[in-house]
Amino acid sequence: MSIFHNSVDSESKSKFLLQVKELFSSLGVEYNILELDQVDDGANVQEVLSEITNQKTVPNIFVNKVHMGGCDRTFQAHQSGLLQKLLQKESTYDYDLIVIGGGSGGLACAQEAAILGKKVMVLDFVVPSPQGTSWGLGGTCVNVGCVPKKLMHQAALLGQALKDSRKFGWEYNQQVKHNWEIMTEAIQNHIGSLNWSYGLSLREKSVAYVNSYGEFVERHKIKATNRKGQETYYTAAKFVIATGARPRYLGIQGDKEYCITSDDLFSLPYCPGKTLVVGASYVALECAGFLAGVGLDVTVMVRSVLLRGFDQEMAEKVGSYMEQHGVKFLRKFIPVMVQQLEKGSPGKLKIVAKSTEGPETIEGVYNTVLLAVGREPSTRKIGLEKIGVKVSEKSGKIPVNDMEQTNVPYVYAVGDVLEGKLELTPVAIQAGKLLARRLFGGRSEKCSYINVPTTVFTPLEYGCCGLSEEKAIEIHKKENLEVYHTLFWPLEWTVAGRDNNTCYAKIICNKVDNNRVIGFHILGPNAGEVTQGFAAAMKCGLTKQLLDGTIGIHPTCGEVFTTLEITKSSGLDITQKGC
Amino acid sequence: MAQRLLLRRFLASGISRKPPQGRWAPLISRALQAPEHSPGELTVTSSHARPLHTTRVCTTTFNIQDGPDFQDRVVNSETPVVVDFHAQWCGPCKILGPRLEKVVAKQHGKVVMAKVDIDDHTDLAIEYEVSAVPTVLAIKNGDVVDKFVGIKDEDQLEAFMKKLIA
Repeated sequence: MSIFHNSVDSESKSKFLLQVKELFSSLGVEYNILELDQVDDGANVQEVLSEITNQKTVPNIFVNKVHMGGCDRTFQAHQSGLLQKLLQKESTYDYDLIVIGGGSGGLACAQEAAILGKKVMVLDFVVPSPQGTSWGLGGTCVNVGCVPKKLMHQAALLGQALKDSRKFGWEYNQQVKHNWEIMTEAIQNHIGSLNWSYGLSLREKSVAYVNSYGEFVERHKIKATNRKGQETYYTAAKFVIATGARPRYLGIQGDKEYCITSDDLFSLPYCPGKTLVVGASYVALECAGFLAGVGLDVTVMVRSVLLRGFDQEMAEKVGSYMEQHGVKFLRKFIPVMVQQLEKGSPGKLKIVAKSTEGPETIEGVYNTVLLAVGREPSTRKIGLEKIGVKVSEKSGKIPVNDMEQTNVPYVYAVGDVLEGKLELTPVAIQAGKLLARRLFGGRSEKCSYINVPTTVFTPLEYGCCGLSEEKAIEIHKKENLEVYHTLFWPLEWTVAGRDNNTCYAKIICNKVDNNRVIGFHILGPNAGEVTQGFAAAMKCGLTKQLLDGTIGIHPTCGEVFTTLEITKSSGLDITQKGC
Repeated sequence: MAQRLLLRRFLASGISRKPPQGRWAPLISRALQAPEHSPGELTVTSSHARPLHTTRVCTTTFNIQDGPDFQDRVVNSETPVVVDFHAQWCGPCKILGPRLEKVVAKQHGKVVMAKVDIDDHTDLAIEYEVSAVPTVLAIKNGDVVDKFVGIKDEDQLEAFMKKLIA
């Protein structure tokens, strides 16, 4: 791809050059610009150029040594498909697209590209955790994330339901207890069926799948190393990095030898017993939540705040509920050493922790220590430096533009590796699909990262969409906002005798924009199900008025959003008294 | 699929009825080697060396080891073979498996059964177009003559066997 240009000329020519550059960038095509005014023989070159191409103007564009013309002609060729044909001609690559990472983002992108008729390969390889855990195709979500998490959360909820059931008339004499092995086996079986179905899906779409560790060796080329150490090389016109992330360790004595992470928990062949969860992320709280829910003695060690990045009022309510229901919290402590007291399944571990505020140290003995202190992107050892892909030094994440393109034009990225984007499966899937459509389907739709709903599946679930109250205040200023809120008591909880004045709903409205709902928050059962619909409403520009005009479904939890009246600014009491 | 079976049979007929290299060797050596004994101990009689064919006929259900094993014991089998494609994570497979084994055993050697784990032998599963499990194929003279997916009760399995043997 060569562009001859002369920047001495008028402004309009620069505009054309810019348009052409943008077009090639969006197609992931590399180009060279030769500025004729900056070249020694520039005038002569320009003369020869006009002789051979019959074109006196700049930019003068060549695609794979074929003369294209100026800006207009190039765009015409793009519309007609001629440009794509010329670009493909050079393609003596093995594949049109190679995706490194077979998780949510990678698989979505690969399959979409295959549907669009491209020759695609997916490489997926799980480096075993320090404890030796590994898993099949599908990535974090399917194997050690969303899927097993939600199933274990369900196991815990069922335990609670059993407790409630007596109040609803169920009589039984058996002492109900939980069997960890039965639950884990059942969950792993389901995951196995998902691994198989993903493989099947790839085969059906003729996507080549290789269970090998992929890393870049040079431009357009990767090395794939399988379990046995055999190396194979593949080339592709375009690459997508979708390698995701793995749990971070603390870097303290005994952490890798004795502690487990979420990578290990969901397939742990023995009950973890008395557990210390280190961390305050949603991973930490969700795990602590269901472990306590199935009857285990659980303590959570928190360095500073809960659920960093989330609305802090909601985060504290989440933590408070867990505490009221038996989860112990050690706030403002960090572990400094883990020692093994006894081997076993589980064994016994001693953990020493230091206060973040003073000289105090504490010790504790647990069967299991689960580290949930963040996730490290898998970008350090895949050869990105060999091809010049920029990686954020501190975070390890890959910065991309709004087309998910890295600084190297033919290399893209989706999913948890992305800098500044949400680490969620549906986001990765959407980004992957749209990326494939832009690259190979002639579409231009970009992935929207605004108003992405999510839910934390702690014992009392927290669903949200849009801005936290802190963020809303930061962006819009407090005086421009109106926050409506209420406590509520789910009907199912009444007879069961469960906490009233605990479930909570809150919306943040932008007064300056028609009372647009810019933040939606619910703490209550089935928060995920409730939030999904409201997320769609927010995408349609939900305002307080539209919400008020919506009739509620009764009796549900979601209906509280249709009758929100009390504002935070009024200071009125939202405590519920009776039905 | 028909083309693939044809290819398998062509390959089979091309190769003489000679056992695939290497794999049978251990069996042979085990069968013929002198039973374990150490100096000074009594040598056990040669009744321990059993001829190979007896060993095979006694097993009505066996696990497939690899592609050549499948070729040999299923495609080239003179006896009709029921192939049980299953997976570790498949609940219904765990119910159907023993049920199949019982019904096959009742056929007194007129039918044998090969078990294939689809995660261990994905290539075989792909070749025989297995998408869901359990999938059970009936193979006679190298051809797939019958098939079902999912659980069946004993009576249905009996009927399946009868049809295959007929």
